[in-house]
Amino acid sequence: MKRCIICAAVFIVLLSSCAWHGAPVIDPDDIVYAPLRFEPPKAQRVKLENGIILYILEDHEIPLINVSAVIRMGSFYDPPGKEGVAEITGTVMRTGGTESMTGNEIDEALDFIAGQISVSVEADSCTLSMSVLEKDIDKGLQIFSDILTNPVFSEDKVEIAKTLKTETLERISDNPQKVAFRQFRRLMYHDDPRGRLCSVESVARIEREYLVKFHKRFFRPRNVMIALSGDIKGADAVRKIKNSLEEWNIPGGPEKPPPPPAFAEASLNYFYKDTPQSVVIVGQPAPGKNNPYYYAFEVLDFITGSGGFRSRVFAEVRNRLGLAYSAGSFYSPRTEYGIFGAYAMAKDSSTVDALSAITKILDTIRDKGVESGEELAWAKESIINNFIFSFATPSLIVMGQMMLEFNGLPDDFLTNYKDNIEKVGLDDLKYVAPRYLSEESRVVLVLGNKEKFSKPLSSFGDFYMEKNGTENREN
Amino acid sequence: MTSGTTFRHALRECLAITCLASILICTTLGPCSAYDLKNRVKEFKLKNGLKVLIVERHASPTVSLYISHEAGAVDEEDGHTGTAHILEHMMFKGTETIGTKDFQKEKHILRKVHDIGNALDAELMKGESADVRKIENLRKQLETHQQEAGKLSIPSETDRLYTEKGGGDLNAFTGQDLTTYHVSLPSNRIELWARIESDRMANPVFREFYSERNVVMEERKQTVESNPGRKLMEQFLATAFMVHPYRRPVLGWAPDMRFLNIDYTKKFFRTYYAPNNTTIVIVGDVSPDKTMKTIKRYFGRIPSQKIPARRVTEEPPQNGERKVKLLSDASPRLIIGYHKPTLPSFDDCVFDVIDTILSGGRTSRLFKALVETGMAVGVNTANGFPGARYPNLFVVFAEPVSPHTCEELEEIIYKELDILKKESVKPEELEKAKNQLKADILRNIATNSGLAGMLSYFETVAGSWQYITKFSDFLEKVTPDDIMATAKKYFEPRNRTVAELVRKK
Repeated sequence: MKRCIICAAVFIVLLSSCAWHGAPVIDPDDIVYAPLRFEPPKAQRVKLENGIILYILEDHEIPLINVSAVIRMGSFYDPPGKEGVAEITGTVMRTGGTESMTGNEIDEALDFIAGQISVSVEADSCTLSMSVLEKDIDKGLQIFSDILTNPVFSEDKVEIAKTLKTETLERISDNPQKVAFRQFRRLMYHDDPRGRLCSVESVARIEREYLVKFHKRFFRPRNVMIALSGDIKGADAVRKIKNSLEEWNIPGGPEKPPPPPAFAEASLNYFYKDTPQSVVIVGQPAPGKNNPYYYAFEVLDFITGSGGFRSRVFAEVRNRLGLAYSAGSFYSPRTEYGIFGAYAMAKDSSTVDALSAITKILDTIRDKGVESGEELAWAKESIINNFIFSFATPSLIVMGQMMLEFNGLPDDFLTNYKDNIEKVGLDDLKYVAPRYLSEESRVVLVLGNKEKFSKPLSSFGDFYMEKNGTENREN
Repeated sequence: MTSGTTFRHALRECLAITCLASILICTTLGPCSAYDLKNRVKEFKLKNGLKVLIVERHASPTVSLYISHEAGAVDEEDGHTGTAHILEHMMFKGTETIGTKDFQKEKHILRKVHDIGNALDAELMKGESADVRKIENLRKQLETHQQEAGKLSIPSETDRLYTEKGGGDLNAFTGQDLTTYHVSLPSNRIELWARIESDRMANPVFREFYSERNVVMEERKQTVESNPGRKLMEQFLATAFMVHPYRRPVLGWAPDMRFLNIDYTKKFFRTYYAPNNTTIVIVGDVSPDKTMKTIKRYFGRIPSQKIPARRVTEEPPQNGERKVKLLSDASPRLIIGYHKPTLPSFDDCVFDVIDTILSGGRTSRLFKALVETGMAVGVNTANGFPGARYPNLFVVFAEPVSPHTCEELEEIIYKELDILKKESVKPEELEKAKNQLKADILRNIATNSGLAGMLSYFETVAGSWQYITKFSDFLEKVTPDDIMATAKKYFEPRNRTVAELVRKK
């Protein structure tokens, strides 16, 4: 009898291995991994005599060098009615020439050495980035520092920048998602300067002199931090940056970061756009990185919708209900505040169903927190294991370390991150959920054509109706 | 694409330009003189035909893992457009041992779901003569059985396993030429990848086929129907190619997508996802020998398949300009394309140089003529559109600044192309273009995923990753005369297709 059982067992094993062409079947959850030990290299920090703070990390894998200067300025500081000044200042710094070279000469010199310099402007920071071949670092740094310190904003390039910005604004209406996220930002920040977006009219009012003034107001050594990584010895990098920037002496300390916003009150908003696919966003103010509940909220957001297929919004709206291709949540934390949102892009007839599904998920989490220890453990393990990718390349490491100082976060923020996530318990989620997912601070945005919705929006309450969802005009 | 899970993804306009990533790589190719690719790439081949390329790189304990199958939209038969793409989605639905509570029970119910689904489709295809009651009945049955199947499955297990172990960039893209699955992992987790990937290459289970069909229809709404640029692109390709499959969209035509068929999808999988039609590329913190042991253990037993000869209708030469207009409420935009040969021809390489001269950087000719004059908000060119396994197109994209029109831009673009035919490119300008192509490739190589993507693309599409070095040799040889000859040969009005987005009055 015993033999028969063994025979049967062998037979079953044979059968299953026939059916299975790959390797021996091991439960993926039972795979044992070697421990991963990694101490990210620490960037070298140097303060130049004129006050510029420098972070440097060598990386000799590829003969390229990346340099990024981060400056405290941004659209937050746009003069009212002239929204767009910060962004166009950034654009024309790059294109409008310097005291020693015209914009076209800079373009020609950079393109010839296949170097790239670009400027990006956010709400409260501006980044001037450069990528050059190692052999061209001297030429690159000369142009880079010239753009940073001596831009002349030539009139013709100001005009072109304004023309292109205006056309770009006109074209936003071609993209329902861009329109929706732009309006979402305006609604969330409401009266705060972060909610004032540039428009065709505000761009038209911008003149060269504002750009010159804007540059003068923010660009000084103590308001600049520079990260450099790549194929260069640390000492050489310091020497070269000193040579190109040390004579830049303008008094003044670092610009204080702008205060956190006063968020808008709860609102329901509908924007008309005749599109086959609606955009639904449900937003809430969220904690910043210096808030003790930041880590709990990271976990909460992961479970809600940013943790991939298993996260609740994705699993429900896309997988179970099949209402949308894109659905999930996002959390953008700054130092002192953050924004959270859950979203879906759903076909017009399913718009209200998608909105219902999202608010139901948020309400459940708000009322009950997260009840399953397993779900919490999954989220924590995922976040902790993925954290290594914050250090995947030397340029990420050096930028990461510099941005801690720029944003006023503690040195050990990244080192302690994993431990802090590990400490998050179900109680923390229960505490944090009702505080941040309350209906009293919820901003709902629906963009689409309500004639084609299969259910009325009014089941949610009274919506503020905006007829022209394609707004790029004065707000 | 099987993503859309993040805010960034949601915002990215080119969410599912399923082949554009490859094209970008293709057009930015150049020699990587300072990076010894030849000696860094370790090449292996398993007995079942599976090719493996490994590059060791120890900057951080991470690794990028790419699997490419030479199977894309181009391999679908007419009437089945969208199959390669829905197959990519189905590959995330688990296997016989991943994502199930009891596969022996589950498989019977899934069989029923498929039978009912097929019967429902067959009835629906009858159109107006369909039996409405029968449809209603089948729909109900389908729903009941789907629910029953759902009780036995564990959704999104593949994603859960990867995510939990720190996986990032988990995604896949389907192009005209190939389908690629990729993930980045902490480097101690390679066995997890081998376990999951070998299993889904051998025993995938197509769960939730019918609800996923709805998801890809939604994907089409999001990325094509709500996107004027993509809509115009569809019209453009359908006009430029009359018979070659490059005329069809990767996502599929909407009427085909409604009836995407599970049996055809399975057949497509069995034929084209065979190990002898597949390349694995691994770049990162790994030991090649140890990794190969794991790969042999997991992938070695998957049997090779006979890949049928690819029968693709050749596109006849174009003998006259073609124009197509699309009415829309969006701002005007323009696409111009010329037929040309693909890699590994020398002419294709010359087009990469032309591409750079015309639109690489702020001093490129079209940028100066159109953007710097405030006539266009953007202009770009691309070589090798929409794929590179077959002869393809050189394409110019432009968007006028109001009140300028597409016609005005066309005129200037043709003038610039004529200059290429008539005037020799100055040596400095040629050198600048070559410098840019070389630097672009270095920037691609700089990240693990960039290098892995590039190697898997060329191994699949050009037959060998070593095409990269061959290209470098070609590039060194390109002269101003070659550029002039190539421009003359291909930039002919009769070889041209123009698509224009026109605002509805």
